[in-house]
Amino acid sequence: MFSKLPQTGEFEKVALPHLNELYRTAARLLGDGTKAEDVVQETYLQAWKSFARFEPGTNCRAWLFKILINTIHHYRRGWFNLRRVKESEEILEQTAACAAPAPERIAQEEILRALGRLPPDYRAAVLLADVEEFSYKEIAALLDVPIGTVMSRLSRGRKLLREQLSGLARSYGIGEGGA
Amino acid sequence: MNNACENMREHLDAYLSRELPEETSREVQRHLESCALCAAELETRARVRAQLRAAVRATPVPIHLESKVKRSVRGRLARPRTGLWAVAAAALVIICVALVHQLRVASNPEEAILRKTSGRLAAVLNVGLRDHLHCAVFRKYSKQPEAAREMAAELGPSFADLVPLVQAKLPGNFRIIQGHRCDAGGRQYTHLIIAGGAGGGKIVSVILTRRQPGESLMGGIHQAGVDRFQVVGFESHDYLAYVISDLDAQQNLQLAADLAPALREYLAAQAG
Repeated sequence: MFSKLPQTGEFEKVALPHLNELYRTAARLLGDGTKAEDVVQETYLQAWKSFARFEPGTNCRAWLFKILINTIHHYRRGWFNLRRVKESEEILEQTAACAAPAPERIAQEEILRALGRLPPDYRAAVLLADVEEFSYKEIAALLDVPIGTVMSRLSRGRKLLREQLSGLARSYGIGEGGA
Repeated sequence: MNNACENMREHLDAYLSRELPEETSREVQRHLESCALCAAELETRARVRAQLRAAVRATPVPIHLESKVKRSVRGRLARPRTGLWAVAAAALVIICVALVHQLRVASNPEEAILRKTSGRLAAVLNVGLRDHLHCAVFRKYSKQPEAAREMAAELGPSFADLVPLVQAKLPGNFRIIQGHRCDAGGRQYTHLIIAGGAGGGKIVSVILTRRQPGESLMGGIHQAGVDRFQVVGFESHDYLAYVISDLDAQQNLQLAADLAPALREYLAAQAG
């Protein structure tokens, strides 16, 4: 049988709907929107390269997240060249000129800061489970660790997050469980 | 809170995630029905989780990211991947896309590209892009480099020494081929057209124009990708300066970062 020539149209149709989730996960794991953009772009390039081997009907989202997680590992080890921006210069993409956060966003900022303070391994597990709603088994495959490790990272990560957020939760009228 | 509660609380997160074995899940369910404290704790955890989800999902995604990804994926089409047929097919696609693109923008190509940008900063970046499109992209000009003397004459006495200043900051494989004063959209520009890069086929514009009231790039260097062009803008007290090309974003930014300090100094002296 002849190998099928991958079509960008087909690729974009199945892969691009996951762009937002990939970007926000990358942004939270790397703590930097510009790095997240680079990593997401690289993720799609890697995905496109291996698209001929992707089987239609299988879980495209998990496949893309797996590539994203690998790309982030590579990024952290400096395995591919990323755009370097001189710190002395402020570089803005045209859309980066966003308005100041609206008041209702402020609480969200606090939550994101608390998430950002979690150790990276815990943060990844919490993001994948509680935000992206992957199953523990899927997370084990994505992070390439045993399911027991996923469970212990989740347990510690969630506990740390809860501790950090307890003050915030109280301010929002969320009690500590007292009747 | 007794031992049973402590035991149950270990399971509450997995219960929320529906990851507990059926039997344990039923056990937790029974406990929750009889224990108000643990039921409230479950409620707390569910609400914190919902807030976390909402906060992460509210992360704004740059609106140019999708087109950036598409561009880079489509840019890979020409690479040999599955043999000659793939290359031929890819080349055909590129030719078709180029033809369609040309047809689509043929009626007013400059405006068609300028309309793709939006926002306050983009409006100021468009000031430079307009001249690049008008002069270096859609207007026919001689690809033969002009003599330095001709360029100096066309630039006029104020900017006659701009050419050596810019040429000194360019990488060795870029050369200024045109220097002139020009008008686009009712505005005056000082414009250098530079050719070079890998294969020699890239065109870069260095464009200067006097700032008009209300125009500001807020002191920084800003880069935007519009269509196939990368636009970097920065400013001095009286001028807006642009480096615009069909290079990739990183190369264009690097070129602009190399030029910016000398150009700013030059423009500050102009104003004085």
